[in-house]
Amino acid sequence: MSTREQDVLRRVGEASVLVLVSLAGGPKHGYALIQDVRQFAGVELGPGTLYGALDRLERLGLIESLPADERRHPYRITAPGAAALRLHLDSLERVSTAGRLRLQLGGI
Amino acid sequence: MSAGQARDGSRLVGAALRCYPARWRRRHADEAAELAALLIGDGTPSASIAWSYLLGAAREWLTPRPGRSLSTVATALLVAICLLGFSAALVAETAPARAAGTTQPPSSPKLPCHLTTSQPRPGIEAGAHARAC
Repeated sequence: MSTREQDVLRRVGEASVLVLVSLAGGPKHGYALIQDVRQFAGVELGPGTLYGALDRLERLGLIESLPADERRHPYRITAPGAAALRLHLDSLERVSTAGRLRLQLGGI
Repeated sequence: MSAGQARDGSRLVGAALRCYPARWRRRHADEAAELAALLIGDGTPSASIAWSYLLGAAREWLTPRPGRSLSTVATALLVAICLLGFSAALVAETAPARAAGTTQPPSSPKLPCHLTTSQPRPGIEAGAHARAC
């Protein structure tokens, strides 16, 4: 299987990747996730989008929910989630490097 | 924000949350309501939160899941399309009258086409006239 095929995060959408990046910094519940994503990416995640992403990532086994703290469920990245994120970021980095190099060579 | 506005906001969000499938509601409804309350407290308009949940609910229904047959998804899609079509038809029906600022008096029944004109109007193709009548 190629690296591209192994990269499951290619198909889950930007919101899921942002959620996973946020959870890589430690477990968080929904409100903390929205605030963290706003801070590091400048992206305003709607609550509906957030729960869609959480549901998808949980079904894929990339995150897991921790016991509820009152009504809030904190979520945590799993080991397969961390591996998937690393693979995805490596792939993005290769694309980013190639893009920058080409812009530089093209004098744009 | 007044207590009344907060109550209206949470009612709106609650209505949007009820649009999700039961499976989702059992799992997330409480924390989603809690998150909405926190966001409303931060100054996020409740309408935008409700809209986000509505879109999320539509995605939930339309995404094929294990245990949810394709026919359920197709039915949900069909109902959504019918509702959209019905709303569009209602808007299209009321828009010209509203734009002209006139309404048809109830005492003037609409005459059949053959009583108002026997010939197609100049510039209107005969076939089109027949189809319109």
